[in-house]
This record gives sequence, C-alpha cells and structure tokens, in this order.
Amino acid sequence: MSRKFLETDSPAWVAEGLITEAQRERLLARYPSETVRAVGLLPLLGSILVGLSALSVVAANWQNLPPVVRLGLLLGSLLAAYAGGDYFLRRGNRRVGYGLLGLGLVLFGAGIILTSQLYQLVGYDVSGLLAWVVAGVLLSYLYDSQTLVLLPILIGAAVQTYCTQALGTFSYATIGLVALGSGWRWWRQPDTLVGSLLAVGLLWQAALWVALTHAKITWFFVPAMLVYAAGDWHPNRAAGRALQGPPLVAAYLFALGLALFGETDQYAGLLRPPVLAYLGALAAVLALSVAGKRARGRLATLPDWLLLLPGFYLPGGLPLAVATLVVLYAHAGSVLARAHRATDAEQLTLGTVLFVVATMVAYFKLTWAFLDKSLFFLIGGVLLLSLSWYLRRRNAQRLAAGAAAVIAAPNHEPETSH
Amino acid sequence: MPIRPTPSHRLLLRLLVAAQVLYVLGVAGAGYATTAYGRHIWLATAPVDLHALQYESFVCLRYLAAEAPLAAWRGPTPPQRRQAVYVLLTTTLGPDSLATVAGVYTQEQKPGPGQAILRGWITEVYNRSLGLRYNLERYYVPGDSPLRLGKTSPAVRVQVSIAPWGQARIEQVKLLPATIAR
Repeated sequence: MSRKFLETDSPAWVAEGLITEAQRERLLARYPSETVRAVGLLPLLGSILVGLSALSVVAANWQNLPPVVRLGLLLGSLLAAYAGGDYFLRRGNRRVGYGLLGLGLVLFGAGIILTSQLYQLVGYDVSGLLAWVVAGVLLSYLYDSQTLVLLPILIGAAVQTYCTQALGTFSYATIGLVALGSGWRWWRQPDTLVGSLLAVGLLWQAALWVALTHAKITWFFVPAMLVYAAGDWHPNRAAGRALQGPPLVAAYLFALGLALFGETDQYAGLLRPPVLAYLGALAAVLALSVAGKRARGRLATLPDWLLLLPGFYLPGGLPLAVATLVVLYAHAGSVLARAHRATDAEQLTLGTVLFVVATMVAYFKLTWAFLDKSLFFLIGGVLLLSLSWYLRRRNAQRLAAGAAAVIAAPNHEPETSH
Repeated sequence: MPIRPTPSHRLLLRLLVAAQVLYVLGVAGAGYATTAYGRHIWLATAPVDLHALQYESFVCLRYLAAEAPLAAWRGPTPPQRRQAVYVLLTTTLGPDSLATVAGVYTQEQKPGPGQAILRGWITEVYNRSLGLRYNLERYYVPGDSPLRLGKTSPAVRVQVSIAPWGQARIEQVKLLPATIAR
C-alpha cells in the first residue's frame, strides 16, 4: 500500500469511525515516507558509477594486460561479488545481497567466455557454457530469491540461442536443466513472474529447436502444450495459470494467423506435419492436461484446448478460415462464460477483448472482398462500438450483481433497495 | 528456505564458488594443454583488413581452407548449410608447410601422420565448392602484436593447435615478409 494513498484516505476512515486516530498514526508509521527510501538509493548510484569507471579502465586496457592478470581480474571480481553477496545477506540486506550473488553468477559466465577468448580457444559443443546453467540452477536452490531463480532461465535461453545459432546443434541438456531444475524450483515455491518467464524461456528454446530441425512449425505446440499441462497439475491455481499464459498466447496467435492467412493453401501446407505422429503426440499431451485438470478440479478451463484444434488439415481456402473463426468465437465465448460464472473482472475483460478481436477478424475476412472500403470501415466501426457497449453493460451488471451478493451475504440484512 | 544464510548454506555457497573458480581455471588450463598436447598446423589466409583494429580489438581472418571444392565432400547425403563437419587437413613436411583440405566428413575421423582434423561448419553450398567456418575467424590481436603496427593489408600465416580431444586454438599469427606477400 502506498503511503500517499494512506495519507489522503485515512482521515476519512477516522471520521467514519473505521479506525481511531492512534491506529491511523501507527499505520502511517508502518509505511515510511518515500523520500527516506530515495535517499537510500544514493550510495547505490554512487557505487554503480565507481564500478563503471573501474570497468572502463579495465576494458580499455584489456588486450594489453598479460593473460595471468586478466585471469586474476576475472576470478577476483567473481570472488568479490560472491563474498559481497554473502556479507550483505548476513547483515540482512537481502536486495543488495541477492543482487551481488546474481552478479557473481553473471561474472562466472563472462569468465568462461573471456577465458576462451583469451586463449583463442574454440569449443565445438556447449559443454563450456552448460556449466554456467548448472551453476545458476544450483545457486537458485540455495536462496529464497526471485532474481536468482530468474537468472538461470535467462541464461539457459541465451546459451541455447548461442548453441543453435553458432554451433548448429540443439542442447537437450540445457532445456532439460531449465525445465527440470528451474521448473522444480518454481514448483516448490510458485511465483507468477517466475512462472510466466519460465514458460517464455522454455517456449523460446522449443522455437529454436523447431527452427534448427526445419520441422513444421506446428510441432512447436507439442512442447508448448506440455508446459501448459504442467500448469494444470500445479496445486496452486494462480501459479498454474501464470505458467499457462505464454503457451496460450502462442496458441491464440497461431489460431489468429490461421484465420487471417489460412485461405492460401500454400500457408496451410507449411503447417501439416504427419497426421498420426502429430495428433498422437498432441493427444498424449491433451490426456496429461485433462488428467491434471480433473485431479485439481479445473475442468472448466478445458476449452483452452479449442485453440489447438488441428484445422490446418482441412483443405485451405475459405472453409478453413471460417472454421478457424468459429473456433475463435467458441474460445472467446468459453472465456466469457467462465468469467461470468466466477465473476472475475480480469477474465471478463480478457474475454471481451478476445470476442472483439474475433469479430474484427471475421468482419475483415468476410467483407473485405465485396464491400466498398468506406462502407467497410463504417459498418465495422458501428459493429465494434455496439458490441463493446453491449458486452460492457453485461459485464457491469454481472459484476454489480456479484458485488451485491458479496455485501449481502455476510451481514444477512434484508435487501431494501432492490 | 532461510532468510539469513545458515552456516551450512554458506558452506554450500563456498563449494559452488570454488567449483566455478576451478572451472574457469580449467578452461585456461585447456588452453595451455591444447598447445602442449595438440597437433600444430599452419593455415594461410587472404590479406587481412586491419582497419577494423581502429574500432575493435579483433580482426577477421579469411582462411584459404575456408573454401573446399565440392569434390572433397565425403558425406552420405548432400551437404547442407549450417551442418557441422570434420575437415581432414593434410600437411606436407617442412618449416613452412601449409595445411590444405583433403576431405570434408560428417563423421569423426582418425587423422594419420601428416594429417589433422579440424571441426567446422558449412556456411554456404555453392555449385562447385563449399564455404566453411572454423570458429577461428575472429582473432583477438594482443597489444604487442606486429599486426597492431601494420598499415597495409598483409597476408598472414596462422598457427593452430588441435587438441586430441577436439578443441582448437590459434597459437600464433605470423606476418609474412612483404616480398612473399606480394
């Protein structure tokens, strides 16, 4: 809660008798003024400047330094960062402590890269950098820090990118370490930011695999939905949804692309993997996902899978585009229906946006060819306006009803106003 | 998980940091070991553009061995871009013996006497030749290198050592005397 909010609103609370003046002062004392905190930033900014100057001195003279000195500088700064991190953690300054430990991990990677460069050494596989991922995952288990959990996910994505782009191979060890190592770390201590970033990192690596093996891009959705299915099994609902966000966004964009460009058989042809193998793999993931949803009582989210319907096996042309549109509408409708049942404002907004997007695509697809352009924009605009007005009204009614039910229920007062 | 590190946590951190330091030292050791135990070959390059040295600390070396005739391809399937390959180089005996490409393989080969295997990647497949990359193209020029004094674009000889376990490194870069270079 921000102090400003407390300062402006709390006198009203006292006036209404919600809290006493003494309680108000105790609340205010809990949230120190932000100027006090801003002053605390000054030493940090100062040390960043000093660090930058030291860095530029070293960088300017790097090639002229003897190898032993360069190695000593790398290892010295690595040790100093870790020692500093440990020191600040013991003093209870967690932010600086974890920041320095993270810096130590980054310096480890820089040490591997710069040392190979120092000896003009060429490695032909990723084993050199794999140690960086291993160290990152191990470090994330030692401390209760979001930063230290995020780092190995980012490092894994970077190492995999290097491996596929420069070395031309895919490192299964890297994706395995991130999926199992960082994944298990997240599973035990779920966090929405880490969950989403973990999913994004894994999807990125899966995309690199697809690009490297020249596989049909639809194969991307097998690992992507595996990440989604893992979210179904997580006991914490919010954490699971955080993990499922990125795969769902990817699947939605794919369905949208199919609705927009599916008409040309050329595009749809790029998407068709061998029927049995692809559908078999996807069905296996679907079974895993359904089992998870059933076990955790979340079968209501099953319509998410509508986006994965393999419509691209249909012959290209208008039928495919229309079929995809129907799927998009069904999906938006399912999100709206679920949000109405749960009276979830965010989901309602999301469902509305999805509905409007589906309508826009449908309108664009079905009328562009035979409508005069100005008429197209006029009718399109009117359609969107009325749709958004209608949906907003329904949402507002629904939320108001939900709020009234919440207010009425605990007090058991007879309703007089309705 | 504790908010403040317990002694056992600090011990684990120390072990982890020690492992990292040893690893970096191991990378450095691999550099020395590659020189000590590796096969040494000389590779010729096209004239080196030294202009980049004004802005960067490295120059790009274009090896003559970076292009191999398609007849040297020994793979079961046609070569593909970005494919990893093993390049068999043969060297003639003598002080200034240059290595030349004898064959491009997809599987690991055992080099005989006077031969060496350098790993690389196919950058491009042309009608009659293959473009190859060895990841040795970027040479970080030390501060005391004669390349730093040069103004023209000299041809150079590059000594590469290849370790039995496959790693390779540029050991030294020698400027050719101006008379030979022209």
